[in-house]
Amino acid sequence: MQVHIDPDVCQGHTLCALAAPQIFLLREDDGHAYVTSPDVPRGQEDVVRRAVATCPEGAISITE
Amino acid sequence: MATDDRTLVDFDQHSLTYKAGFPQISHELRSQCPVAWTEAYGGYWVITGRDVIGEMAKHPDLLSNDHDPTGARRGYEGIAIPSPKGGTNRGGFIEMDPPEQLEYRHVLNPYLSPVAIEQWRPMVAELSHACIDGVVRSGRLDFVDDLANIVPAVLTMGMLGFPLADWTIYCEPAHAMVYTPPHSPDFPRVLDQAIQMSGKLAEEMGRARTNPRPGMLKALIDAQDTGASFVDEDILGTLTLLIGGGFDTTTSLTAHALTWLDSRPEQRQALLDDPNLLDTATEEFVRFATPAQGGGRTITQDCQIGGHSFRSGDRVWMAYGLANHDPQAFEEPDEIVLDRFPNRHAGFGLGVHRCIGSNLARMTFKTMLSVVLERLKDYRLEEGGAVRYEDIGTINGYKHLPATFSPGTPKGQPLAQVMAEWESRLYAGSTTA
Repeated sequence: MQVHIDPDVCQGHTLCALAAPQIFLLREDDGHAYVTSPDVPRGQEDVVRRAVATCPEGAISITE
Repeated sequence: MATDDRTLVDFDQHSLTYKAGFPQISHELRSQCPVAWTEAYGGYWVITGRDVIGEMAKHPDLLSNDHDPTGARRGYEGIAIPSPKGGTNRGGFIEMDPPEQLEYRHVLNPYLSPVAIEQWRPMVAELSHACIDGVVRSGRLDFVDDLANIVPAVLTMGMLGFPLADWTIYCEPAHAMVYTPPHSPDFPRVLDQAIQMSGKLAEEMGRARTNPRPGMLKALIDAQDTGASFVDEDILGTLTLLIGGGFDTTTSLTAHALTWLDSRPEQRQALLDDPNLLDTATEEFVRFATPAQGGGRTITQDCQIGGHSFRSGDRVWMAYGLANHDPQAFEEPDEIVLDRFPNRHAGFGLGVHRCIGSNLARMTFKTMLSVVLERLKDYRLEEGGAVRYEDIGTINGYKHLPATFSPGTPKGQPLAQVMAEWESRLYAGSTTA
């Protein structure tokens, strides 16, 4: 699974980091989310799906 | 005028009908149309569908926040419906559009990011404990007056770089501005109070130029000095915005949560025991109560969004509080489910105007709530004592929330001393005179 955050759509709600703190990191300057690698480690797929579902802006997408 | 096929609804977020009917009122409105038209205050669209409001928030080019009371640009009326008459200033960067708005947020974001707010957590905890210490022997408190008004206000002072004790100067005007309905006979007095507050803020700005203290005001002035196109009026508007946003919303959120928890002792204990539950519950309280109920916009050109047609100049009310009860997005939307997650609520707004203080609000709320749950374990609200805002259409808040509990003993220093100690820590090396 790969995960992608659209930086133009993310507004820093930080809920993805609540869903999957190991995957979604928050920038120090504005709290907008980023990932260090698009590849989702095994076992993290479900929490990443929860992050997709909870993003208020719909900024996160996944490819299986 | 409504001359086309728009759905007409009888709606005014400042009315007593709205206050009495929130949040269930949203279902009737949405079933008529998630994008409906009211003739109140000269007419505006009311957006109550979670999907369509999210789509609209993605188009700041089509939905303007601009407030232009002097008619220098397009004469738009900003985020308040109705727009306040008589003023000449806009309300800080929330009444601007990108890219100008982003320039302000760029300066302020580093003070409000999740990392940045962590440094304030110890102060918020000490202030909360000191507030409880002040009442704990008596067995009685007003959650608003004795705690939830004080902590966010003192914190906001610290973040701005203001003397902490000055929170009392701003507290009453800031709250009165949002709970006094525009049709109230008291409104002119409240507006006058707000103008006096602006005078005080202008003094503070002058002082920040000669004796700067660390904080957000200094950051704005430094940015102005180093080339940002900020004018003094907009810095003043921004200070008013940060005070309004910093004081009232977290107070309201805390009052709502304590009201809901009044008759639920098991849930109180669960929140104390489980930090993860406190995290999801915080989002759920924000969704359910939506302290900042919505915001006005102006359509910049004839357009279609989410299948709905709008005309240039139309006014729009982004009813985030109502969209947060859309059953298509939230199962059992009128229930508080502490572990609700995912929870794609719009309680902090959506799009480029997402509440800049959302991370601060969460931390302050969680800290105050935890201190109450830990120290006033058996609190019960006084029957009939809660007083909600007369007008909840701007901020869904409480004026008073009295409660009783088994008396205890103070744990730390009195509030004045806690504030004095933090003041010297924050402003060591700065002149406070």
